[in-house]
Amino acid sequence: MRDILSTLIPRLGRSGTDSDRSDAETSERPASDRSVDGDVSAGDPAVRADGGVTDQRRSTPGRVIDAVDDRFGSDFVESLPFWGPPFLLMGLFVYGAIVWNLLISLTDFTNFGSPDYSDLDFEMYTRALSDSGVISATANTFILTIAFTVATLVVGLCLAILIDRGIRFENTFRTIYLLPMSLSFVVTAQFWLWMYNVNNGILNIAIGVFGAGPIDWIGNPSVVLWAVVLALLWQFSGYAMVVYLAGLRAIPTEHYEAAQVDGASTLKMYWRVIIPQLKGATISAAVVLMVFALKAFDFLYSLVSGYRPPNGADILATKMVRESYGNLNWAYGAAIAIILFALALAIIGPYLVYEYRRGHL
Amino acid sequence: MSDTSTPATDGELDGSDDARAADRPGALERIDASRVALYGFLIGLLAVYMVPIESGLVTSIKTSPTGVSETLPYMPPLLPETLQFFTTEKWQTAFDALSRGLVSSALYAVPATIISAFAGSLAAYGLTQATWKERYKAPILALFVAGIFIPLQAVLVPLSQFWSNIVNVADLLGFVWALGINDDYAGIVEMIVTHVAYGIPICTVLFRSYYKNMSEEMIESARLDGATMRGVYRRIVLPLSTPMFAVVLIYQFTQIWNDLLFALILISSSASPAAPVVLILAGLGQSMEGQDFPLRMAGAFIAALPTLAVYVAFGEEFAEGVAS
Amino acid sequence: MAATLGIAGCSGNGDGDGGDGGDGGDGGDGGDGSDGSDGGDGGSTPAGPVEVVHGWTGGDGQAAGQNLLEAFEGAYDGTEVDWNPVGGGANTNLNAVVANRLQNNDPPGVFANWPGKWMTRYEGVLGNVDDVWEEEGFEDAHVQEAQDLHTQNGAYRGVPVGSHRLNCLFYNVSVVEEAGVDPDSLNSISAFIDALDTVSTETDKVPFTHLMSGPWATVQLFGEMYLGEHGYDAYMSFIDGSPDRDSVVSTFENMQTILENYISDDASSIDLTASNSNIISGDAAFIHQGNWAAGAFRNADDFEYDEDWGFKTFPGTEGMYSLHFDSFLYPSDNPTPEASKNWLRFVGSEEGQIAFNTLKGSIPTRTDVDMSEFGPYLQETQQDFADAEERPPNLYHGLGVFDETQSALEEVVSSEFSGPYDPEAAADGFVDAVSN
Repeated sequence: MRDILSTLIPRLGRSGTDSDRSDAETSERPASDRSVDGDVSAGDPAVRADGGVTDQRRSTPGRVIDAVDDRFGSDFVESLPFWGPPFLLMGLFVYGAIVWNLLISLTDFTNFGSPDYSDLDFEMYTRALSDSGVISATANTFILTIAFTVATLVVGLCLAILIDRGIRFENTFRTIYLLPMSLSFVVTAQFWLWMYNVNNGILNIAIGVFGAGPIDWIGNPSVVLWAVVLALLWQFSGYAMVVYLAGLRAIPTEHYEAAQVDGASTLKMYWRVIIPQLKGATISAAVVLMVFALKAFDFLYSLVSGYRPPNGADILATKMVRESYGNLNWAYGAAIAIILFALALAIIGPYLVYEYRRGHL
Repeated sequence: MSDTSTPATDGELDGSDDARAADRPGALERIDASRVALYGFLIGLLAVYMVPIESGLVTSIKTSPTGVSETLPYMPPLLPETLQFFTTEKWQTAFDALSRGLVSSALYAVPATIISAFAGSLAAYGLTQATWKERYKAPILALFVAGIFIPLQAVLVPLSQFWSNIVNVADLLGFVWALGINDDYAGIVEMIVTHVAYGIPICTVLFRSYYKNMSEEMIESARLDGATMRGVYRRIVLPLSTPMFAVVLIYQFTQIWNDLLFALILISSSASPAAPVVLILAGLGQSMEGQDFPLRMAGAFIAALPTLAVYVAFGEEFAEGVAS
Repeated sequence: MAATLGIAGCSGNGDGDGGDGGDGGDGGDGGDGSDGSDGGDGGSTPAGPVEVVHGWTGGDGQAAGQNLLEAFEGAYDGTEVDWNPVGGGANTNLNAVVANRLQNNDPPGVFANWPGKWMTRYEGVLGNVDDVWEEEGFEDAHVQEAQDLHTQNGAYRGVPVGSHRLNCLFYNVSVVEEAGVDPDSLNSISAFIDALDTVSTETDKVPFTHLMSGPWATVQLFGEMYLGEHGYDAYMSFIDGSPDRDSVVSTFENMQTILENYISDDASSIDLTASNSNIISGDAAFIHQGNWAAGAFRNADDFEYDEDWGFKTFPGTEGMYSLHFDSFLYPSDNPTPEASKNWLRFVGSEEGQIAFNTLKGSIPTRTDVDMSEFGPYLQETQQDFADAEERPPNLYHGLGVFDETQSALEEVVSSEFSGPYDPEAAADGFVDAVSN
């Protein structure tokens, strides 16, 4: 690995310098209008030498850099080459694409070619609101996200508490519980399709022991969503466990002792003293799990090898892809994507504010 | 997100059975009933967790359709009376179908992993070790963090528009196809760029949580000695980042290898030479004769082998990656 | 390119008929070898191989496609073929892949798809193949419907390779005999439902095997049930956008009776292959499918037409032939225009249609084909086709409704008619979908 790293370093270093130039150029604009290429490239060495060096203030670019640095902080210009290019790439692909997606959702773009941006309206959104498919997909998205997140947090917490009780071979246990998370949704979908098989699946054999079933886990529209939740729970409870384990380890030992002195039972101690302290762990795990739930597209796609998930398991993510890539209703798909994005934002937004307030950003 | 990372990245997860918690004084000496029950429960749970994988493994070596219907799904076909249902043919078939996918997956997963890790390291360095005003830094950081959580559906339509109408790799790289390379491999280039772009946020945040805890004195003294930010990065930060690079590379590799959505959108045809293994696997055993479960199971294991190998070899790093 | 060809063969290898898959690989090698000899033919021979994207990855479809490919390579020596199968039930993955390729300005040479109203989804990206139709005399040779359905904005956009029939009811002879049912007497939907009831009381077999892993088969069933119950004119008004709600409800109620009582327990998780297998193995009495099912029956060992399996025109649709076309469409910006047209010339020719249809279980769309190689079942089908009073376009599979209508119908079946069954809500949904 190190070989690869060392070969990459010079290349990245160079690209950093390149954008150094363009960044200086853009940052210069607010301060003065007369600069041109010559100035900027002349200023280039100044940019590089600028770290802590103050005696080059006479050149125009140098002054601009200082002005910028004064405004944003002493290392702003010098740090730009580091975070600027990744930020630009990400900004283009993530935020640029979202804005573009919003624009497309206002057009009537279908089939082939390019969208016509001259006639924008909210028709796709009114259509979505009256589409029973979108409404049931939204409901399914909520059920899936919430049921999966809550169940996974509970199971993960229980696992973490059990593992935290000073057992031997802790690492082995942890490794195996976490193992499903390293697998692709495509892979786990194959496993669970087999688990849920009506005639030969283990789950039906297991419930058959108690005289129940067989249940058509995938085919029954009122069961399939819960079957998906169970499969995702299996895949990600190890993740919740790891997060909670880290949270538990961060709680000072004195808190356990204090509770012990008070004569609280183990159960009470966890409920009253320990679990309240895991609030941070719970919030971050919950946010990440909700994102995984949004990615359940891969799982649902792989269950059926197609854009249309089993009846009763259609979520916004699958509906969006089906409308866009199956039915070529690009604008409509884009509108559904915006609805999904808004739902995600409703979770991420407060979380970011929360993290910012706690100084964790 | 980052609050739990501190203990995790400090390696405290490794702390195994030190009797740290005060509620269990002497627990280790006393082998009492509750202790036995605890172990019994954990091991039983372990078995439950392994069932889907075990069942898949034993099914993958059965014949279809008789083998799967005549034997119990969790029993290997290795008893004398079930030996007639044993076959390795499914693994062979699955490997024949998936081997080219393994190559394609590696062709984009490896470069995309390395580039996104580096980009994340650079970005995190520029946003952490450099001093500039929090007021301006916070929104930029927020954009990075939020970038992790964006549902990819929100960018898919523009993404396919971008790769078809704005930057058409197949046209741009005409000279490459002239060499006799199939122009379907344009999809590999698209996959690399796309995965890098969407991998940058998580890589940046992972590195940032690490750099925040890095010793500041060393860096500050180097800066006072007149070292540039580049110099500091190359001489101090990068060498110290090795453990975090392991974490990020492993996490990213797993994510990129496992992802289906981008492959579906950008490459779409499992018959394409550039089709990655997950794309082929998603249709394996279904488009052929009915639902050939042994074939699907064998295929699932072949597709999972690289990530499983990485996980088994670097489980600790993986755990750290997901915990942050 | 050689890699692609090898892969096409490779993905066929996993199939039950392994021999055919192997042939695919061989075909690839052959194409590879002829690479160097391209120059010989001069201007008439196109440069690159023509990429043919299609969905025949398994069973009789794969065998038929392979046969067509080999016959083409024999007839057009020098035109290489990049044979590119895309798997997945009922063409959904094929359609997605084709759409993606067209969207990315990376069209294949030709692609297999449905003509008719469905073809409007490709409006603007299909090229004009009037010259092929003219030079090859296709207008005289092919049935009128073939001409109408392949026309878009006044030009031909593709060529049909064969026709399947949709109004089919197949049965396992020994099961219906065990139940004491005479299939030939089933000339109405109510007689059909009575027969299903007889099978369920007299035998322990599944009266009607129906796949519900996707909604398409139920949409398709609705089409024939509606046609059988309400006749040609009502059906045509329905697909042309002026449906009669009461009649739609009535058909859904009949379907509810069937789907609630007479299908297998695992219907919602089985696919087409498994559903066909229920007939072959004698586990079920009846199946409704297009006559591609006959291809599966014929390929089964010891399963003979008239002795082991039988065909009855779907109850109530006697004298009609519900039309389905398998066609190749021609993308306008395809990289190999001449080679693509050669492919179209061949699939519309007598030789091409015989090579494909004898194995696919479909009939030629030409009227001048010698049917002697086709076997008794297809000969009867061809006769029915020629004698049909009406040839209504199918409801699913592209001919009868636009693609957005078809997907709306699927959505309705998914949400309202996949158990529990709600005839009223489903009727509202269907009426709404076709009225738009």
